Amino acid sequence: MNLIRLLSGGLAIAAFSVLGTANAAPDGRELYIEHCSACHQMEGQSGIGLPLLNAKLADVSDNYLHSTIRLGRPGRVMPAFQRLSDAQVGAIVKFLRQRSETKEIVYSDEPVAGDAAHGQALYAENCVKCHGADGTGEGPGTGVTTSRERTFLVMPASISNTGFLASAPDQMIRRVIHVGRKSSGMPSFDGKLSETDIDDLVAYVRSFEQQERSVAEIDADERPTHVFESPHDFETTVKNVKAALTGANFRIFPDRLLEQGLTDEFSVNTRQVGVRFCNFNVLYGMLKIEPRLGVVLPCRITIMEREGGEVILVVPNLRVISRWFNNDELVGLWDRMEETFTNIIDEATL
Amino acid sequence: MKGAALKLILLGAAFLFARASVADNMIMARVPLRAEIVLEYVKASVEEHGYTVAHLQLCDGGMKDFGYESDFYRVVFFGKVDEVRMVSARYPELVSYLPLKIAVIAEKNETLLTVLNPEALAPFFPDEALQIQLGRWQSDLMSIFQDVRRAVGARIVSNH
Repeated sequence: MNLIRLLSGGLAIAAFSVLGTANAAPDGRELYIEHCSACHQMEGQSGIGLPLLNAKLADVSDNYLHSTIRLGRPGRVMPAFQRLSDAQVGAIVKFLRQRSETKEIVYSDEPVAGDAAHGQALYAENCVKCHGADGTGEGPGTGVTTSRERTFLVMPASISNTGFLASAPDQMIRRVIHVGRKSSGMPSFDGKLSETDIDDLVAYVRSFEQQERSVAEIDADERPTHVFESPHDFETTVKNVKAALTGANFRIFPDRLLEQGLTDEFSVNTRQVGVRFCNFNVLYGMLKIEPRLGVVLPCRITIMEREGGEVILVVPNLRVISRWFNNDELVGLWDRMEETFTNIIDEATL
Repeated sequence: MKGAALKLILLGAAFLFARASVADNMIMARVPLRAEIVLEYVKASVEEHGYTVAHLQLCDGGMKDFGYESDFYRVVFFGKVDEVRMVSARYPELVSYLPLKIAVIAEKNETLLTVLNPEALAPFFPDEALQIQLGRWQSDLMSIFQDVRRAVGARIVSNH
């Protein structure tokens, strides 16, 4: 009986939350489930996204959270939620505050004056091991994935990221250096560095704003796929592609016709075939960098015979696709892999 | 005990109505249920939306065969043959993105569903008919994710 009451109560609350008037204030919990839970999990435990730990939330202002949601972290997976209204972002921030039972720390916008050159020397001595020479964070990895190994539980913040720098005022950076962040392993430098040293470090971190992103923008006219004409007939082209892939150390899966599985075997077009391939060693490494890679797997070159006998090869443009993941590390790898694909096509269409 | 049950019921109820997240190029949804079960819900919803499941890619199996540890990781390929034929005839550039595919990724006892947002391709193809098609795919994918979350939400509620 109690369960029935609970059940109807739960349903009633949920129904009320959805069926409420269109003009009702945005519901932070619903918005969190919709926009944040996929990466951060329901309770903020982390996943593809970083953990939203109570201790961490207690260190930051509501403005910082608002700005982080709005601007994201370019190149570090966290997207910029530009389509949400200010009221919706505010509702998510309010929900995070209520759930974590934390109060914001309000930081003044007063800039910290310091000697960035001296800060650079201090940074090399004290910070570079975790945050990296360019401030992008330790080694490979762009976030936390609970099902995969990481060197640290939490990736050190990418303190040179434009999203971070636009969200974190100098006074917040100063305080974090002072008191550290137990939740993420950031030590306190209180007593180890003087007030002046800390100001110099803040000035150096702020100077990362002048640093250019390592990932190059792609040309505006780049297409999401490359289409090549083959000088060979269909069968020869398929054979050449496989030979080139084998030479490039890829394992080839059984051919799969484009329409296969979508229609019966008598109606399927046999002149459109996907040659699918993989290098599991490379894939394994890439999945650690970008767990969502499955949405573009497996690698495939599609060979099609068009009306009139023309044979074309359609290859995804990795330079374009990689940028859809907002993951700079993947972009770097795929920009190089794109060259491999180009070589394979060159060899197959000689 | 009652608190835990209530929490689960509320969670399940919330999922009954939750929508999938669209972050421009990616549509994602988290589902609080094991991936093996969620995969079945995905396949069922895909078919309810009029698509045919073309095949299932066992990414975890492939990696394990080569000695790489992996959690449950599957990709569901699906489509409508008429749409695939239309696209391959008129927009051969797009065949790399067909059939459509949903990645079903285990994260311990939860599941992450991810798919490329077809609308990410829209800026490259100003053709009006294709814009409509891409929008329809996006809408269907959102609906599939929503259905899965509803089904899982209902399951959580009914089990408690």
